[in-house]
Amino acid sequence: MPAAALRRAQPGRALLMTLAFGFLALFLVAPLAAVFVEALSKGIAAYGAAVVEPDALAAIKLTLIVAAISVPLNVVFGLAASWAITKFDFPGKSLLITLIDLPFSVSPVVSGLIYVLLFGAQGWLGPWLGAHDVQIIFAVPGIVLATMFITFPFVARELIPLMTEQGRDDEEAALSLGAGGWQTFRRVTLPNVRWALLYGVLLCNARAMGEFGAVSVVSGHIRGKTNTMPLHVEILYNEYNFAAAFAVASLLALLALVTLALKSLLEWRYGVHGKAVR
Amino acid sequence: MSIKLANISKKYGAFSALHDINLRARPGEFLALLGPSGSGKTTLLRIIAGLEFPDRGTVYFNNEDITHLSVAERRIGFVFQQYALFKHMTVAENVGFGLSVRPRRERPPRRAIRARVRELLDLVQLGELGGRLPAQLSGGQRQRVALARALAVDPQLLLLDEPFGALDAKVRKDLRHWLRGFHDRVGLTSIFVTHDQEEALEVADRVVVMSNGAIEQVGTPSEVYDHPANAFVFDFVGESNRVPVIAADGHAIFRGRVLDIEAVGLRGAAELCFRPHDARLGAPGDAGLPATVLLARPREGRVRVQAEIAGVRGAIELDTDQAPEPGQAITIVPTRARLFPAAAAPDAAAA
Repeated sequence: MPAAALRRAQPGRALLMTLAFGFLALFLVAPLAAVFVEALSKGIAAYGAAVVEPDALAAIKLTLIVAAISVPLNVVFGLAASWAITKFDFPGKSLLITLIDLPFSVSPVVSGLIYVLLFGAQGWLGPWLGAHDVQIIFAVPGIVLATMFITFPFVARELIPLMTEQGRDDEEAALSLGAGGWQTFRRVTLPNVRWALLYGVLLCNARAMGEFGAVSVVSGHIRGKTNTMPLHVEILYNEYNFAAAFAVASLLALLALVTLALKSLLEWRYGVHGKAVR
Repeated sequence: MSIKLANISKKYGAFSALHDINLRARPGEFLALLGPSGSGKTTLLRIIAGLEFPDRGTVYFNNEDITHLSVAERRIGFVFQQYALFKHMTVAENVGFGLSVRPRRERPPRRAIRARVRELLDLVQLGELGGRLPAQLSGGQRQRVALARALAVDPQLLLLDEPFGALDAKVRKDLRHWLRGFHDRVGLTSIFVTHDQEEALEVADRVVVMSNGAIEQVGTPSEVYDHPANAFVFDFVGESNRVPVIAADGHAIFRGRVLDIEAVGLRGAAELCFRPHDARLGAPGDAGLPATVLLARPREGRVRVQAEIAGVRGAIELDTDQAPEPGQAITIVPTRARLFPAAAAPDAAAA
């Protein structure tokens, strides 16, 4: 009897739930709470001062600039790659799918080093860049490049499964009705994937703002110039300026929470309108 | 519009999807492409539409070579198996899509588009549902929206891929009749793909039976049903029994018994094909097929008997008026049957 079976399974269920929630509380909620507690440990005034201090403001600004450049570019790339992969057959397709995943499988530090090797003063293109007075490593362009590399897969990874599932029928229907390529994309494909795209953008943005390893390698840690928020947090922390470090960190944590909330909202919309949207 | 396909071939890698297809459709004709999955029927339909392109061969619309025109340039209406309605657009927006994407110079004014949409929705009897989303419609309604959307661009040819495939049996039957009447009212040349012989025989003017990328037979429903060109067609367009026999001295012979079936122009291993309703239970002395009853069940006012013949693959089915007992030995006498040359190596059981 299912009811009896369920009742017998109850103790096991309770145990599993306790385990899951206990684990979450210990390893996720507690550290997150600690960030905010630590950030406010010297009072609201100190918190405010740490956040509006010029170097912190510069780091926030740089972080926003990096995200503002890399996220839109990744959206374009993600859409183009997913479109190509799911709507056309061409040689090298599986290679492209594998390459898109590369940044996930490579350590971020290695990703940063690749760019140093390419564009650094001792790198392959270093002499040429130096001769033309172009600075990429230890400057904003390097940070943007490294961030783009790291966030490459996010949009494409969201879109490819959905677009594969949706197939080509809608596009073919639009073409058979006389729509051109751009019209088909704008009026049929894009609306079909809009929620997944938004979801990908959110994840991409969170990673672009939070990336540490790759950016750390190419940034050069010049205060007020090439420090993003995560790098600024590390510098403050290494200077034993804990309250300020956690104050800036709390901004990143807030970003994570907002992303999480938006993500839940999107999932809820997906779920409710799933049939109509997908 | 008339259609002519000349020597169409298409390969996917090493797999030959279509080889050397020749076919004509007259203006206003309703043609069915009938075949099992993998027979190439959908590929052929998509080649006519311009969604696929043949490796070799020519497609003519009204005697004009349009092989290299894109789907948009061919002015066809295509109805997809899963309808492919735009889910985020209302029914009216879906139907009006083809008009609204025209270049500005050719695009009708908004009011004209609305009027045309209204007219089309009335035509498919969905006049009141223009404001709904596709997800809020039943399968049959979605099918008709897809049809109205395809007609909005005034196509010269209507192509339908398994138009009833995604519907349940009852709706399917209704929509079938409706579509036939609709075709006659609108007067377009139409071609549809189906794997359901009943559907093809009931709706189409002519049926194109396909298998393995080739056309087996083209004919009116009664031609393919009553005069199938080969054992495959016989088998595919209706229920059938197939028994390996020997053709000799002008007759079919089954294990030494001379059957009352003439073998004209045929010698050697052959296949005897007959439909369940074209056979009777014989008396013990009759020249027929010796069999053992497996099962007898009432069916549409008669009794459907399943029997096995020792050494012959598959159960033999026939319709009778009295029910024999399972296990009983019977003699099956085909009253109307066809003989075809054995397709593969002669079956050992025939000897």
